[in-house]
Amino acid sequence: MTFGGVLLRAIVVIAMGLILGPIVIVLVLSFSSGNSLSFPPPGLSLQWFVEFFHAGQMRDAFLLSIGLAFAAACGSTLVGLLTALYTTRRRGILGSVLQTLAMAPLVFPALILGLALLLLYRTINMPVLPGLFVAHVVVCLPYAFRAVLTSLQSFDTRYEEAAHSLGAGPVRAFMRVTLPIIWPGVLSGWLFAFVVSFGELNTALFLTGPGVTTLPIEIFSYLQFQGNQLVVAAASALQVGVILLLLLAAERVIGARRIVSR
Amino acid sequence: MPSLRLSSLALLAPPVLLLGVFFVMPLCYLLFVSFMTNSMGDLYETVPTLANYTEIVSDPFYHLIIERTLLSTAVILIACFLIGYPVALYASRLEARGRLLLLMALMVPLMVSNVVRAYGWVAILGRQGVVSGTLNTVGLVDRPMSFLYDFQAVTLGLLTILLPFMVITLTNSLMTIDERYREAAEALGAGPWRTFLRVTLPMSSPGIASGLMLVTFLTLSAYVTVALLGGPRYKLLVSFVFDSVSSFRWPRAAALSFVLLILALVVAAVIQIIVRPGRVKGRG
Repeated sequence: MTFGGVLLRAIVVIAMGLILGPIVIVLVLSFSSGNSLSFPPPGLSLQWFVEFFHAGQMRDAFLLSIGLAFAAACGSTLVGLLTALYTTRRRGILGSVLQTLAMAPLVFPALILGLALLLLYRTINMPVLPGLFVAHVVVCLPYAFRAVLTSLQSFDTRYEEAAHSLGAGPVRAFMRVTLPIIWPGVLSGWLFAFVVSFGELNTALFLTGPGVTTLPIEIFSYLQFQGNQLVVAAASALQVGVILLLLLAAERVIGARRIVSR
Repeated sequence: MPSLRLSSLALLAPPVLLLGVFFVMPLCYLLFVSFMTNSMGDLYETVPTLANYTEIVSDPFYHLIIERTLLSTAVILIACFLIGYPVALYASRLEARGRLLLLMALMVPLMVSNVVRAYGWVAILGRQGVVSGTLNTVGLVDRPMSFLYDFQAVTLGLLTILLPFMVITLTNSLMTIDERYREAAEALGAGPWRTFLRVTLPMSSPGIASGLMLVTFLTLSAYVTVALLGGPRYKLLVSFVFDSVSSFRWPRAAALSFVLLILALVVAAVIQIIVRPGRVKGRG
């Protein structure tokens, strides 16, 4: 057991190093006072963050990503809530087809979905921003749906029946009884959707346009076509920073256990 | 009750509209376009043809690319299993608090955009990167060296980006196995290895299968990671979907997409045959 135990620990340490190492290096490099990728950096400074906010395109992409993630999270949580309500209350073929469809974007290659949507948008002349928004709602839907579904499945419908028998209509009963009880699930679904939209890459690749770019796409095109890479490190650090902030907020509101258990 | 029917329609309409119009329909349209003729000015020419597929199937260049794609997928899957399983096993045996911490440490990277994680590897392996710089300082090499743009870089990058998916899926699967099975095996005289091979491993096969299938789908469509770590020199099938779009050959891009999907389904079927998740029944 001792040899096995040591081996197991060694593999865990190596795996976590490989997973976390690249992110940590980007975070450290973003505070570099030098202008090359040399590691460890010669000193610490915030110059690359200053440059990031002076680079108009980067800043615009950052702001657009935040706005888009907010809107897409609201959209997909709303649709996810409706889908979860339908599939928990009306079982049957339609319900299970809908459930499979709502989860499908999770595994379906996002790049191919992006291409298919681009073809559709070109054919119906869809403007860039609404098109991007709809694509993000579809991509985030499985995360929002699954979180809401989990909390609805453990919800005791007798509470709602009690509200009905006391004279509340379906909407009123839902708003006053069901929603407050399943609220943590709805909120964690929203947070998941936000995070997924904020980092979404493969669908947006085809769907961004001139002046309408998300932060991950901006980082990607910067890496492919431009030189100065430490601005990219700052942009990446901001990407990570927003996510860490959201996770901290989530931990406060709904607890870490709920974030992990899925 | 009419009000119930109405509310059930109100619940049903938004998801059906969204998924119907913006998920199912575009994919059907993509399939349709893949059987059309490439056109210079328009998206496609409405002349039905099988040429997009026959050109891919008969072109030795695409054979090479498909072979390469399958090889890297296989290496990533095997490595994901060999590294991911011990980590999941370790996580599943921790007490609740430690497991929560470990799983959080795996969740955070998953939420960070893949472009950032791929960029991390560029910063490590690139010409001005950490490895090259360190080797220079130590004096092992006398000029900057790039470790990017080859099979190893792409495979390592994809492996580390996708590993958390595997570990989290496996940990959840291992947690559902009833402790008493293991205790029973040990009480009957099986050692830890035998218990692992004959009880734990087979009982976690549904988790292994779903983790591996998730990794397969994500590997095959990870364009950005392949583009950043493989560069122009090392491309996989997904790169050519993107390249066809860049050169406005929409029907070719559509056909390549479906070849990619078929490839993913074939790999998924092979996983099912090897792992045999169906042998575990009555779990839940």
